Amino acid sequence: VSLRDVALPPLRIADEPNGLVLIAIQRRSVPLFHCRLSVPAGASEDPRGKAGLAQFTAELLRRGTHRRDARGVDELIESMGTHLGADVSMDEAALTLTVPADLARQALDALLEVALEPAFAEVEVAAARRRALAGLQSDLDEPSTVAARAVLMQGYGPAHPYGHPTHGLKRGVETFVREDALGFHATRFRARGAVLAVVGDAAPDDLLQLARERLARFSFPSDARGAALDFRELPSHAPLRALVLHKPDSTQAQVRIVAQGIPRRSPLYFDALVMNTALGGGFTSLLVDAIRVDRGLSYSVGTRLVMNRNAGLALFSSFTRNETLRELVDVALEKMRAYAKSGPSNDALAKVRTYLAGLFPLGLETHEALAEHISDALLDGVGLEHLAKYRSRIMAVTARGAQKAAAELSPAREGATLVVVGDGEAGRKALADLCPVDVRPIEEVA
Amino acid sequence: MPLDASDFPVQEHALQNGLQIRLLPDRSLPIATLYSFFRVGSRNERPGITGISHLFEHMMFNGSRKFGPKEFDRRLEAAGGTSNAYTSTDVTAYYEDFAAEALPLVLDLESDRMASLLIDDDSLQREREVVKEERRFRTDNDIDGMMDEALGALAFVAHPYRWPVVGWMSDLNRIAREDCERYFRTYYAPNNCTVVLVGDVDPKTAVGQIEKLYGKIPRGEALPPVADGEPPQKGERRAVIRYPAQAPALLAGFRTVDGRDPDSLVLDLVEAALGYGEGARLKRALVYEQELCVDAHIYFGWRVDPALFEVSLKLNPGTDPHRAENALWAELERICADSISEAELQRAKNFVRSGLLRGLQTSNGRAHTLGQMEVMLGTWRAFLDLPDRYQAITVEDIRRVARKTFAPHRRNLVTLIPGELPDGGAA
Repeated sequence: VSLRDVALPPLRIADEPNGLVLIAIQRRSVPLFHCRLSVPAGASEDPRGKAGLAQFTAELLRRGTHRRDARGVDELIESMGTHLGADVSMDEAALTLTVPADLARQALDALLEVALEPAFAEVEVAAARRRALAGLQSDLDEPSTVAARAVLMQGYGPAHPYGHPTHGLKRGVETFVREDALGFHATRFRARGAVLAVVGDAAPDDLLQLARERLARFSFPSDARGAALDFRELPSHAPLRALVLHKPDSTQAQVRIVAQGIPRRSPLYFDALVMNTALGGGFTSLLVDAIRVDRGLSYSVGTRLVMNRNAGLALFSSFTRNETLRELVDVALEKMRAYAKSGPSNDALAKVRTYLAGLFPLGLETHEALAEHISDALLDGVGLEHLAKYRSRIMAVTARGAQKAAAELSPAREGATLVVVGDGEAGRKALADLCPVDVRPIEEVA
Repeated sequence: MPLDASDFPVQEHALQNGLQIRLLPDRSLPIATLYSFFRVGSRNERPGITGISHLFEHMMFNGSRKFGPKEFDRRLEAAGGTSNAYTSTDVTAYYEDFAAEALPLVLDLESDRMASLLIDDDSLQREREVVKEERRFRTDNDIDGMMDEALGALAFVAHPYRWPVVGWMSDLNRIAREDCERYFRTYYAPNNCTVVLVGDVDPKTAVGQIEKLYGKIPRGEALPPVADGEPPQKGERRAVIRYPAQAPALLAGFRTVDGRDPDSLVLDLVEAALGYGEGARLKRALVYEQELCVDAHIYFGWRVDPALFEVSLKLNPGTDPHRAENALWAELERICADSISEAELQRAKNFVRSGLLRGLQTSNGRAHTLGQMEVMLGTWRAFLDLPDRYQAITVEDIRRVARKTFAPHRRNLVTLIPGELPDGGAA
């Protein structure tokens, strides 16, 4: 199998005078148009005691603008047969719309209106707060959601800008008022640090012109950022400990093992990706073989490197019935500790390199994926080379590089935390002689 | 406006053993997708072996004559590909996404397991445990899953749609190797399969390879009939689940038409009008205006036999389920009495049109769409005129189908009440 680098589609990148970066990408396939506005308004920007404010603000954008009320916004967007995407990650808020190509102008106008002219009406803020609190409580019925929230809090620690769930915590959300959303929007929805990407079947210059023409109808102030965030604070390197979140009547335990990882722009990126895929990605990884195929302990098992812009986590995930919780944890720890010393075998290394390189173009097929990958490559500081040379960089990963990454990024190394969501007593009994166990009600992560 | 047939230069072939082949070349990226659709799902099962279709999907990855255990995905990944599969009530589909150069290997892997799958007791036992774990994950410890299972058992008395695709736990424990071997011989014959290949491939070469690898696999016998004699529903049915949850929930299901019935397209638009987007009327009324629910979700999918139009309400903590139920019935009665507005109808049509286009963005999406049309409507060409057929639907069609579907005697309602049973639910 020959795996040449993949040519990116025709595109233009322009730096506008107000600091906004414009990306125009030509994609010839189905007659769709996609626009994506990324602003530096992610959950890491949540003020102290206001965890969830970025998410709360993004959700309020569609609840009315200076030009129309919430119902009018719904009609504006959804009459085009599309949903407004409003995804808040740790690093950014991304608003997206995909429409049939003949609606490109209307889509851009709608996207910019909700992003730049929200009304934050008092009545909508109060209703959104009630919905957010009900949602937080409802989320406790989803064991995997509870586990995901706990992983962030345990993995980064409470003082870190990434150390809370994007949807926030009940005690903070209860305090949200109109001024919070107004203030957050005024300081974070700014042109400097933002990227507007448009994708369609037109020449990049024509797409740029369309974007500029629509932007001219709105005020997009340049800059008002406050002090830089401090991403250094992470939990200390203590021995393994377990947090069991008690969910009554569970016959199955969700299991996570989390340790520190790396940011996306780390020089270890490609070594780490190959290493992690051999350990716990794909269907033929070491852990899938050991836990699912050989022992039938779980339906799903994997490891993942959560790579945010300024820090990251190394994460093991699986689930199993209460009776086999300890066996699963023992196998996972044993395999991951051995792998940290050995790294992947030569066979595994060769297989994973081809696997990742072969599948890479699949991630560039849709308008949405192109806009996201290219925007992120710029925002994360890795540049378009990251995509253009992806295949050759993956194929260049050596056994030594992968082994080094395995040693540095094992989820089972010192400082790791074991998170279990399930029956509290079953968890305590299973793990008592492995490490210190703290059993808490799931409500503590709400 | 119909989709342009010239954008879909699909080639159709059939082998003498009955295997159907659909091929769509696309040179835009150096990748391809192969789907194998088998016309078998949980509707082909019987009590005692429920879940065998899905369990068998797992068994298909455990080795064949040429490629031993663990080899299928190992070889595929080493050639720059990935695979997965799903089982529904009506169909079992396997797919591979891969670097285009890997096509010969992918066809070799797929044809070999169709020709000579290995089924042994050890791999069956291991896979049985994996599937039981999947059941615990998706059903026993998941509120949506346990409610969906209860709704099927409530709404259907005789039809196999009565049991969940994953099967009852007791049946998963009971399925034997002999059941699997019989199942394989019956349903995994080439004349019960359509393969769809989309991507950066040369059609002539690909067809030659398929003929060479699949051509010698013998045709299977005629399929056994499906026990589809569901009696008419003559009154509302209700079920209650008690479970330690944060909030109550409702799941309503209305028995309706099969996927080939023209009214299924009308129901697609009803689904979009009620449930797509924040401004959809059910979501607007129950989530935003009355603040009864965290979320309101509508589901209607085409099935081979008449199935369900479903409405799922995840209620706000503390909400009285009766109040939410009455609000739901009131919204459905409104659409029966007054239909929807022309603007709502156009909005729904736009959603469905965009959804069709978005589904065609990837080679996997195109291959899946072609295969689904073949399985559900008999020909991939059916999707070319779908936009026109949706466009022709009127507000009067919506009213007519809503009245037929949402009649009170067709209701099936599962209510989840938070709280533990006195005995913890022990059998």
